[in-house]
Amino acid sequence: MTQIERVIGDTLLKVENISLGFGGVQALSNISFDIKEHEIRAIIGPNGAGKTSMLNVINGFYHPQEGAITFKGEVRRTMRPHEAAKQGIARTFQNVALFKGMSTLDNIMTGRNLRMSRNIFWQMLYLGPARREEMEHRHRVEEIIDFLEIQAIRRVPVGKLPYGLQKRVELARALAMEPELLLLDEPMAGMNVEEKEDMCRFILDVNEQFGTTIALIEHDMGVVMDISDRVVVLDYGRKLADGTPDEVRGNQDVIDAYLGVPHDEGEA
Amino acid sequence: MSDSLLYFIEVTIGGLLAGVMYSLVALGFVLIFKASGIFNFAQGVMALFAALTLVGLMEKLGVPAWVAIIMTVGVMILLAWLIERMVLQHLVNQDPIILFMATIGLAYVLEGIGDLMWGSDVKVLNVGLPDGAVDWLYDFNIYVTKLELVAAATAALLVAVLAIFFQKTRIGRALRAVADDHQAALSVGISLRTIWVIVWSVSGIVALVAGIMWGSSSGVQFSLSLIALKALPVLILGGFTSIPGAILGGLIIGVGEKWAEIYLGEYIGYAIENWFAYVLALAFLLIRPQGLFGEKIIERV
Repeated sequence: MTQIERVIGDTLLKVENISLGFGGVQALSNISFDIKEHEIRAIIGPNGAGKTSMLNVINGFYHPQEGAITFKGEVRRTMRPHEAAKQGIARTFQNVALFKGMSTLDNIMTGRNLRMSRNIFWQMLYLGPARREEMEHRHRVEEIIDFLEIQAIRRVPVGKLPYGLQKRVELARALAMEPELLLLDEPMAGMNVEEKEDMCRFILDVNEQFGTTIALIEHDMGVVMDISDRVVVLDYGRKLADGTPDEVRGNQDVIDAYLGVPHDEGEA
Repeated sequence: MSDSLLYFIEVTIGGLLAGVMYSLVALGFVLIFKASGIFNFAQGVMALFAALTLVGLMEKLGVPAWVAIIMTVGVMILLAWLIERMVLQHLVNQDPIILFMATIGLAYVLEGIGDLMWGSDVKVLNVGLPDGAVDWLYDFNIYVTKLELVAAATAALLVAVLAIFFQKTRIGRALRAVADDHQAALSVGISLRTIWVIVWSVSGIVALVAGIMWGSSSGVQFSLSLIALKALPVLILGGFTSIPGAILGGLIIGVGEKWAEIYLGEYIGYAIENWFAYVLALAFLLIRPQGLFGEKIIERV
């Protein structure tokens, strides 16, 4: 695989000392890391490590009890989800969260929601300006459809699509938002090898062609090591390691977390 | 044509037109249920409240009907905003039953406010809609009032506008998105609060239309809120999430109860009209619980 020449920029997002608990369960303890412009940042860790919780904090679904998030230089404790979307954060979900009754096209069009401005009175009448605006955004959406090669399923209600394609539509919806930071929660889960390769290619293309910064959670270590610039490793809500794929791969704590530590020494 | 056939046609038309009224109330229910999963018990009272406000504004301020209607639309939008601010916002993520209880409370509050502001006596609502029999139909010995035809046409227009709004516009799409998946809707930057205000406003306006039609034909009185109860079987028939279902359900119940009254009355006793809708709903619950157009409930185990 040829390494892509990209310029990694300044820090886009920084999370500092984030702690999040639900009742007695501490989901995240004192997590800090940063994401730089244009990079692909992977978040890995065993099940229940707090990876998805971390994404939920970043896009405002969860509000951490402690810590601060700095996005594009603005510091805040918590963010509301639609504020996060306005700021330029888009995401996909672990268990595909699409609008199942709506067509592929309509699903992707919802991603344009924030970029459309005609108010409710025009909308009600479906007249002139509202209609023209609709057409402009349709055009942009068609480009994304071409980019992700899903022309054939434009009109199909997404509930009827196979899982792999649903994941792709979800990515398309996120891309329609033209985000600066794209959060992908297990974009390749449940896919076969071919679908995984396609998805990898799309992620790299998005990163390269649109310059979108990407943070992704993924379990397939081969994929993670191949496509990410830096990796942060979580385990039981704590940060275990942070660095380039090679650094992380060699880290003893990470190896222990994944393979398990033999207990016999202590018990003997 | 024979007399009995003419009579049948007249009864059927009368039933259809009564059904349109049920449909209008049911439509308001469906809108709110679709977008927020809330069963709005206050929908009928909203129709009453809208009609009371309209009559009140016309009497107290002496403004022409169309001005009063525009002002009432404003009041209904303000009401939607207040409901979101004071009730819904504080009950986000609560069980549907809690939200349902909140709407029962809302129903009584609205009824109380209507009573306090405009008094509890029966009022005549005259916004200048035509009245009296439709002449050319009357020539065939069929008695249909002009008001009923206007109500039917208005309902048809309303449904057409709503259908375009839901299918073709950004806000309509956002409404459907919210109905489908709250979290995903939030993640693409749709504000739930804005959507709720919009959907309650639209529902309020539909309630106003229903209020005008009912009020014009039988006066604005507190029993108006009872028509909400008839909307319940309509919803069970049509499915809680389907706009066409609400319309068709209303028509079926309207016609069905008239037929039952006329043709079954002499065998099983009259006043069937009062309970027919509920028995039909009960039958539907046993045979097809999702209604004619509702989404089939499939539970994964």
